[in-house]
Amino acid sequence: MNATIDQLQDAVRRVRDTHQYVLENRRTEAVIKALADAAQSWLPASSPWRAQAVEQAPAVTGFSPAMVNEAIDRMFGAITADSLGALLDRELGDRRVLDEFRPHGRAQARAFGAPVIVHLLAGNVPPPGIHSIVNGLLVRSGNVVRMSQNDTVFPKLFVESVRAADPDLAMCVELLEWPRNDAALTQAALAKADAVIAHGDDSTIAALRRLATSQATFTGYGQKVSFAYVCREAMTPEQLPALAAAAAEDVSIYDQQGCLSPHVIYVEERGALGPRKFGAALAEAMAAFQARIPRGKLSMEEAAAINTTRSGYEFRSASDRRIAVWSSLQSNDWSVIYEDDPSFVPSCLNRVVFIKPTDGERRVLENIQRHATRISTVGIAPMSERMTEFAKQLAGLGIHRVCPIGQMQRPPLWWFHDGKPNLASLVRWTELG
Amino acid sequence: MKTALQLQHRIAAFIGGARDDFDALALEVFTFQFERNTAYRAFCERKERTPDRVAHWTEIPAVPASAFKQLALTCFPPDDAVVEFHTSGTTQACSGRHLFKTLELYDAAITPNFNAHLFPDGARMPLLSLVPDDPHSSLAYMIRKLGARCIERLEPGNEPVCVLGTAFNFLKLFDEGIQLQLPAGSRAMETGGFKGRAREVTKPALYEMFEKHLGIPPTHVVNEYGMTELSTQFYDATMRVGHRSDVKHAPPWARVRVIDPQTDEEARPGVPGLFRIYDLANLWSVMCLQTEDLGVADGDGFVLFGRAPGSSPRGCSLNAEALSVA
Repeated sequence: MNATIDQLQDAVRRVRDTHQYVLENRRTEAVIKALADAAQSWLPASSPWRAQAVEQAPAVTGFSPAMVNEAIDRMFGAITADSLGALLDRELGDRRVLDEFRPHGRAQARAFGAPVIVHLLAGNVPPPGIHSIVNGLLVRSGNVVRMSQNDTVFPKLFVESVRAADPDLAMCVELLEWPRNDAALTQAALAKADAVIAHGDDSTIAALRRLATSQATFTGYGQKVSFAYVCREAMTPEQLPALAAAAAEDVSIYDQQGCLSPHVIYVEERGALGPRKFGAALAEAMAAFQARIPRGKLSMEEAAAINTTRSGYEFRSASDRRIAVWSSLQSNDWSVIYEDDPSFVPSCLNRVVFIKPTDGERRVLENIQRHATRISTVGIAPMSERMTEFAKQLAGLGIHRVCPIGQMQRPPLWWFHDGKPNLASLVRWTELG
Repeated sequence: MKTALQLQHRIAAFIGGARDDFDALALEVFTFQFERNTAYRAFCERKERTPDRVAHWTEIPAVPASAFKQLALTCFPPDDAVVEFHTSGTTQACSGRHLFKTLELYDAAITPNFNAHLFPDGARMPLLSLVPDDPHSSLAYMIRKLGARCIERLEPGNEPVCVLGTAFNFLKLFDEGIQLQLPAGSRAMETGGFKGRAREVTKPALYEMFEKHLGIPPTHVVNEYGMTELSTQFYDATMRVGHRSDVKHAPPWARVRVIDPQTDEEARPGVPGLFRIYDLANLWSVMCLQTEDLGVADGDGFVLFGRAPGSSPRGCSLNAEALSVA
């Protein structure tokens, strides 16, 4: 149901008023508790929120019911009183600055959440949207949220679970739907926003930035790709099965549609086992993951993209020993493509991953340099002094996050999403003294 | 070599209108290509679809169009090629090459098929082309072979004309503000999409522009579907049936099947999928091509889908196309 301009303006007014009420009647500890209680209420197998999400989300998001369950465990498992408090302490210095003036050098300072944040969500991968809402509530702002047509289920159910924990706090969120390309409606929503958080492709974010007022702080989260790097030390028969399982998880979660999903895994040559062995082990792990958490349904275009990619490499692999393909039999559930060519190739997504041998970090840096501004996360196995040096070079290229393989899809709540602090743009400060 | 030439003459005769059996010819061409094309042979062996196991033309393994980017895919020494056509390669770094040992079958396939779809009324008129000449463009070659005159500008005249160009050539002309009323009976052949171009319009909108800017009604605009990797072109039935029709029919020496990308088997009737094209005129390269084009079967013909504009990925990951544009 698309919102009208009147409904949008009413929503903005309502959240501004409720924000004022909550600001005066809640302390940060109470907000943390309500959000943590809401998140934790998703976790039991008998949770009504979980049941509703598993029932409704597959049709809207395209994910399998098992993937929806997995998303719930990961996403809400990470939202605890401890992690929420830590997020505030790390980013604002002290969680109580949202409640009162606190020492700030020789003076004192207090932070106030933006009265109205407009969140423009995109896509079907749930965590960015849920985190956006959590951040807005954490600083006790009013939140107007445009949901993505690919995921209306998680935001709605999450706000309901917040309502069960604290009805007033939930009143600080208004969830709406309107078409992405309706500039008049978007402009009406943005007209009185104090902060804007936009998710989407680069052109969408650029367009939204133009529509936002100069008074509003604007944070844009664009689309990104990720990759992984396996050192020769990890290529031993003892370590390989667990490493492959960790990599399969990173590739397969959210059917590779997230910005943290690896497209390419570089594997160093001259280990006890060669890079090809990693391909074979990963194929086994992809099959095991598929058995546990099946990939979701594909559109015709997505299926065609997999068919085209796979058949191209399969054809070449018959006569070219530098190429090998492992894939699910009789289906397009997953594909592992080994190619002896160091260039970074983006995947067609939906569990299609490239394995590329490499003689070292330098070659990889050369090959990803061109795409560096579009890369979110680099997964590494194992972390070592040498890899810390590599991470510094990646940081120099502007890459936002380096973490162990297996953790790519588990960023902590306080991670710098796309290299940015989460709360800084949502608060203003007053100094005293 | 004698059998190869015999096969070539037999296919040429088939294209020329002689009665023959597509199924039997397809199996012969498959055997020929299996024996002479190393990469294709390795692929067929891997799939366990060798000539002794393939009993029906639909079982012949298809070569993905992307393979032309890395491999020569010829049934003759590539150095013997008399011509090579290149794909435009708008979204991939490298473009594909289709090498020809002879253009006998290619030439034979051009004119009768074109005339049957552009001039079913038997009309004769000058052919004018907006496509710039390019020695490696199969489209430019085809247009040259048809005897069209390359023009820079379209001038008003008293006689009907047939204008040939890519959809993008025409759009450019319309955007420049051309305003002509070409004589009744004039017609146009447009081909290709807007892949990689800044401006895209839907086909119905494009056809309205033909009427507005050139005075050619939508009933006199025929869409051609051709690929560098093939030797045969396909045209919609608009001029033949007297009203706009998106349905294309393969000529007797070619077949088009719609493949469900989920199963890699033939799609159920009415279900869209990828076109797999069998073209006997591709004797010296590969006859069975797996295209990347989506469409649907329609009776004994097929309808090509345009690329869905603005179809964006569902998540926050970039897809290949977005990354290559960046």
